[in-house]
Amino acid sequence: MKIILLLAVLNFSQIFSQDNLPKISLKNNFGKSIAISEIDTKTVTVFSFWATWCIPCLNELDAISEIYDDWQNETNVKIIAVSIDDTRSASRVKPLANSKNWEYEILFDTNQEFKRAVNATSIPYLIIVKNNKIVYSHSGYTQGSEIELYEKIKEFAYKN
Amino acid sequence: MKRLPILFILPFSMALSAQEFSFSGNFTSFSQYYVDDKKTGDFTEKDRFRSNNYLKLNSEIDKFSFGLQIEGYAPQAILNYSPSFDEQIGVATYFANYKNEKLDITAGYFYEQFGNGLIFRSWEDQQLGLNNALRGGKIKYAPFQYLQFIGLYGKHRVGFDVSEGEVYGFDTEFNISEALKIEKSTLNFGFSIVNRSQEIENAAEGFNKNTFAYSGRLNYSKNNFYSNVEYVIKDKDALLEFGSVNTNSLSKGNALLYNAGYSYRRFGLNATFRRLENMTYYSDREVNDNIDNEQLVNYLPSLTKQHDYSLANIYVYQTQSRVTFNPFEKAGEIGYQLDAYYQFEKETFLGGKYGTNLAINYASLYGLDAEFNRENRTFDAEFLSLGRKYFTDFNVEMRKKWSKQWTSIFTYINLFYNKKYLEERSGKVNAQIAIIDATYQFLPTKSVRFEAQHLWTNDDRENWLAGTAEFNFSSKFSLFANDSYNYGNEINKIHYFTFGGSYTKNSTRFSLNYGRQRGGLICIGGVCRVVPESTGFGLNLSTSF
Repeated sequence: MKIILLLAVLNFSQIFSQDNLPKISLKNNFGKSIAISEIDTKTVTVFSFWATWCIPCLNELDAISEIYDDWQNETNVKIIAVSIDDTRSASRVKPLANSKNWEYEILFDTNQEFKRAVNATSIPYLIIVKNNKIVYSHSGYTQGSEIELYEKIKEFAYKN
Repeated sequence: MKRLPILFILPFSMALSAQEFSFSGNFTSFSQYYVDDKKTGDFTEKDRFRSNNYLKLNSEIDKFSFGLQIEGYAPQAILNYSPSFDEQIGVATYFANYKNEKLDITAGYFYEQFGNGLIFRSWEDQQLGLNNALRGGKIKYAPFQYLQFIGLYGKHRVGFDVSEGEVYGFDTEFNISEALKIEKSTLNFGFSIVNRSQEIENAAEGFNKNTFAYSGRLNYSKNNFYSNVEYVIKDKDALLEFGSVNTNSLSKGNALLYNAGYSYRRFGLNATFRRLENMTYYSDREVNDNIDNEQLVNYLPSLTKQHDYSLANIYVYQTQSRVTFNPFEKAGEIGYQLDAYYQFEKETFLGGKYGTNLAINYASLYGLDAEFNRENRTFDAEFLSLGRKYFTDFNVEMRKKWSKQWTSIFTYINLFYNKKYLEERSGKVNAQIAIIDATYQFLPTKSVRFEAQHLWTNDDRENWLAGTAEFNFSSKFSLFANDSYNYGNEINKIHYFTFGGSYTKNSTRFSLNYGRQRGGLICIGGVCRVVPESTGFGLNLSTSF
């Protein structure tokens, strides 16, 4: 019985699967509550899940930071860095991000509500969002994968 | 379990009439096959092959969402997971939620955190095998953007069952600056109450089954400065000793957390002070300080910096919040940590062509300075006085990009670890660690990464040497090999090695490895557990849809 239900669900997913941004609110680095589903995603928006203790995450955000201006000029892409640091390290987020001179908006997902809602299992993890729909997701980072990410960003930037 | 079909059919019947329907989920699997090892001995337990599997399914229709998580530990959970998971398969958690602009109601299993988590946090970490979701109900009500109330009730999940203790919680947060439309600064105020209720058989007369905890917090930030403070009082609760609850020995607890920082372009400073006195808080009093970290009501991570490299994770601090009289007298901890970040600008002498990032961190932790009355099992702790030194960690990290191809990270750590008091074994450890991590990118998405680490100490198991090589053939496929060699002592020189590979496509990741795992205290993500050495094959798979 359980298996049949499961298969039924998986079948339905083929027809309906179209993920919206979850209706949750997170604090930004100024302590203001931001409703995720109300963020303007008419242009391509990338949510990158990271933590201060995750070395590949820092490598990825550093690498993008260097070419972010070019990306923005060409595609108007917006990158939002979602920190999943819990109370152990959340206080390090703001000074670390500022010291690196990142231009990303930062959100605090301290109890990993957003991460859970997008079904991410480990970080680095990113989702590309356009018009409030999650159109692509990717797990992990190795040196240079930002090039492939940018191909995806361009693909969705020029698509309506 | 019987609720499953209703939870499932409901979304579909609703979907027929609904405009917005979405479905998503993920699947994660960790499997191990344990082998005999000539050096560390044969695998003597039941079931060489063990597997942990998690399937999460969520659906959303307009303002409603439904979810469940099916977990399977077959034939039993991999080593070092809580025995409550063994040989089980079934629905582990489920929920139904309704959410509109002001109201958010959940029935079933849920996660939540009040303030910094000092009195309440329920959370999940599959990789660590931790899930202390509450089963019950939660209502969040936000009449205005700047005001929120949360009320909740539930019992902690324990394996596929729930705790006998009950948890009640209330939290409110008021954003004063938003209410008064002050633009230039932020001021938030929060207040929470939590109660844990559990009947104790044969308790002393007048013993209260309820233990309340109260917390107040304040956040303030202006321009580049920010600070927050939280203070907690926990009512009298029984002492747990030798595995039994002593209802004749009652003590109060309290906690103070203060954090402040200043940051500006290319510069950041952060300081945290925390004092914990008798702050262990479990759903079931009898599991106080259990090694599987189950039924925790609050969250007290160690304040120290979380390191990523293997040798930096041998001597890791564990929060000391529990009161004990035996074998050592302990009442809690007091300590602080400082962080400084600086970026040397591009095109300067120290910045070079690409800039240089420097991070310095120092943490120092002590026991509370307290008088103990062994006979009555009571204690009296000084407020701002340092007791016995437990741990210090001074570390410097420099990240530098040398050219388009070369990037590197240099780390130096100097630590003191009071093994006697932290592990309740003999000894103290003074150690220094140096790490070089270098990546060479020879084609846009092809790179190699090398890590060299050394740990110097004359104490405990003495010197270690470690190395890693990682080949990233594309953004999808990589291979790695690493080895940590404990060569310093004469009695037992040993290699702990792993090699393997991983394949990633979009949000699907598959990895395979073979290796010998170090035993002892293993800490990942601030959670520590004691594990035996083991050797074997590992296979991990995760995907989301």
